[in-house]
Amino acid sequence: MRQAGTYSGLLSKMSGRAGTHSLPLARIKKIMKKSGDDVKMISGEAPIVFSKACELFIEELTKRSWTMTMQGKRRTLLKDDVASAVIATDIFDFLLTLVSES
Amino acid sequence: MVEEQDKLLPIANVGKIMKQILPPRAKISKEAKQTMQECATEFISFVTGEASDKCHKENRKTVNGDDICWALSTLGFDNYTEAIVRYLHKYREDERERAKNQSKVTATSSNEDKAKESPSHKSREQTTSVQQIDETSSAPSELRALKKGKSSLTNPP
Repeated sequence: MRQAGTYSGLLSKMSGRAGTHSLPLARIKKIMKKSGDDVKMISGEAPIVFSKACELFIEELTKRSWTMTMQGKRRTLLKDDVASAVIATDIFDFLLTLVSES
Repeated sequence: MVEEQDKLLPIANVGKIMKQILPPRAKISKEAKQTMQECATEFISFVTGEASDKCHKENRKTVNGDDICWALSTLGFDNYTEAIVRYLHKYREDERERAKNQSKVTATSSNEDKAKESPSHKSREQTTSVQQIDETSSAPSELRALKKGKSSLTNPP
């Protein structure tokens, strides 16, 4: 008996509670390992630290991008808004190549 | 540029975080989500690289949570450190509680022979629970409970 809609709604509420990470730890670990040849061993806590750090990073970049959206008097956040936010923020310099490729 | 989706953070998770920080009626283009997905993935690589260099210089093989915090601070993200330290403390506390509860369970149902086995059993349990976190779908046991028509979650048998 399939009641996927009801259950998935309930489940998404449950995952919003503290104790569940908003980004999958296995994926984070995979990305960390791919970042360099000398990244061989990763402690259990490192992906957990990143799950929070990435959340904060996405929040910050999103807020800054939204400032650009508002300057353009729009209500849809576009790719160019993200690019503008990256250009305008020194600590996001490592992303300049990424946002200029398209 | 070919995107291999399993090398990036999942776009659904990224989109959800973006949505939560924006005003209720804000909209996000698909391309913007994709760009954010790539940026966040690059963020992990960038910070990990810095942390890994430090470990290498100090002749350490394992990149740990403190190395990541150090790298974040060095690269200009020191305003994240406070929130992360709080999050890590809460996580460690939760893990301690979970380990305590599990050892209580094994102690009540065990005799002497089983008690000898319990350290490895406990570590298996802990591995299992970490894997459940990894998979984000700790859903299966909850689904089973729901299917049985129970309104409150019970411990799996």
